[in-house]
Amino acid sequence: MEESVVTSGNRGTGPETEPQKVRRTSSWKKNMWGYLFLVPAIVIFIIFLWLPILKGIVYSFYNVDFVKGNTFVGLDNYVKIFNNPDLWLSVKNTLYFMFLTLIIGFWVPIVAAIAISELKFFQGFARIAAYLPFVVPGVVLYGMWRWMYDPVGPINALLGLFGVEPISFISDGRFSMISIVFMETWQQFGSAMLIYLAGVLSIPRDWYEAAEIDGAGVWSRIKYITLPAMRSLIVLMLILQIIGTSQAYQSQLALLDGGPNKVTLTYALFTVKYAFTQLDYGAGTALGVLMFIVLGILGVIQFKMNREDY
Amino acid sequence: MERGILSPADLRKPGNKIVYGIMVLGIAIMAVTMLYPILMTMFNGLKSNPEINTFPPKFFPTTWHWENFSKGWNYIALPVFLKNTVFIFLGNLFMTILVLGLAAFSISRIRVPYSRLVYFFILLTLFIPATSYMIPNFVNLKQLGLLNSYWAFWLPAGANAYYFLLMKNFFDGIHPEIFEAARIDGASELTSYLKIAVPLSVPIFATLSIFIFSTAWNDWFWPSLVMHTEDKYTLATAIYKYVINARSLDSSIKFSILFMVMVPPIFVFLGFQKFIVRSVSLTAVKG
Repeated sequence: MEESVVTSGNRGTGPETEPQKVRRTSSWKKNMWGYLFLVPAIVIFIIFLWLPILKGIVYSFYNVDFVKGNTFVGLDNYVKIFNNPDLWLSVKNTLYFMFLTLIIGFWVPIVAAIAISELKFFQGFARIAAYLPFVVPGVVLYGMWRWMYDPVGPINALLGLFGVEPISFISDGRFSMISIVFMETWQQFGSAMLIYLAGVLSIPRDWYEAAEIDGAGVWSRIKYITLPAMRSLIVLMLILQIIGTSQAYQSQLALLDGGPNKVTLTYALFTVKYAFTQLDYGAGTALGVLMFIVLGILGVIQFKMNREDY
Repeated sequence: MERGILSPADLRKPGNKIVYGIMVLGIAIMAVTMLYPILMTMFNGLKSNPEINTFPPKFFPTTWHWENFSKGWNYIALPVFLKNTVFIFLGNLFMTILVLGLAAFSISRIRVPYSRLVYFFILLTLFIPATSYMIPNFVNLKQLGLLNSYWAFWLPAGANAYYFLLMKNFFDGIHPEIFEAARIDGASELTSYLKIAVPLSVPIFATLSIFIFSTAWNDWFWPSLVMHTEDKYTLATAIYKYVINARSLDSSIKFSILFMVMVPPIFVFLGFQKFIVRSVSLTAVKG
């Protein structure tokens, strides 16, 4: 049997970089196995992924009732959600949450990665310490940080040393969202830090050497070599963070159930509550369709970038 | 690696020395901030209940209450929830390797006509944010009559485009000559997959196992919707319902349970660091 194309050594590259190969297949038996291997995946993707996605679009025009059956209601679900003032509140809260995660959380892993890459000793320990919170399960995180944020907890004890009166970080509406952002940054920045660290360490050392000989100081080396070299990685992480934080609801649900006074009611939580508290699946799916339209655009941008980078 | 951004000469300048010192101090503070809540969860689980609520909080327990752990273990049916979680983990792993692995192998190594079409059919789902079809997904499972059954986790585990992509990329890197040789020797494609591709792909399966383990271990919201009787709850769901939201549970018992739930993932992390660092860099490519 003769093979017309031989591929090798493209491990770790994206699928898009691989040029399409036309291969002369000489065996019917081989094709039969090939199709046989694809069938289970195709069936499962249709039933458990494409079907829900399409049902989502269809049911946004229906009143979903498991007992009496579904009835077509036209645009009623959309009219209902647009007339609900909580929709705009939840969009506002989500944007506020995304904004906070950017200013509080986004730069932390970049700075930490550059700093840790310069450590001469204990670099491995610093890496492990930074990443360890990431493996803490969500439910443990909530129990842990409820106590950390307690009016008689350790954070208030620390602030008390500076004469600050105890603050109810979680239940005081002014601090609720910020407290969630700090908690999630604590948990998640280590994983982003490891990605950036790999980026920092892949920059050739002799670039710094050359810059130093040309008289560039430490800050200009960071500004003109390190950060530009990581530019595409930083932009990619930014898009991933925006896609991720725009769908956030679990911490808000677990710690506060969207309260106090709906200040932590994010868009995704609003969707979840429509479906699983009010049992209005039609309106819930309509909210999902709207989210899909907005995030789909971001997804395409990210895909375009991935294509350039990998 | 001889030097980083800083060269040895830089560090001899006093100004840089101070900045470097501040940086090291900053990293030390970060490390303490990272480890403190984790250690406190452990030590709080060993304190007496009144001691946890003293202000300011103490780090070490004054008396060590080891019995908190046996009380915590018996407070809810942890072994049952643990069994459910392990069930879901193993089933999901099996489905991933069987369904997604075979499809990835076919697209990467067999390349039947129109396989590109199937490839895009799978990959397209990466661009659809999971939260946007969470509710129809639930409705779909309900209509299929899969609620409150492990199949509601096992079957959809075969519909993960991201894991598919990871395996496909890995199979792309295996030298095709090996499969040619097997083919000439009369091995069927299934034998090629099971006897050659699977043993050569242990690193990617290890990475996937870690992903699947952490999802099974950490997910609390979705299982709380899908499983609605107590005997089917996963560990995380049970902790959320009975420990986090408990009103009359002693804090010391609560922390001992939280600590027990946190220990396995920490050990998995420390034991499989190599694979985890790899898996983290893979998430950057994730959609």
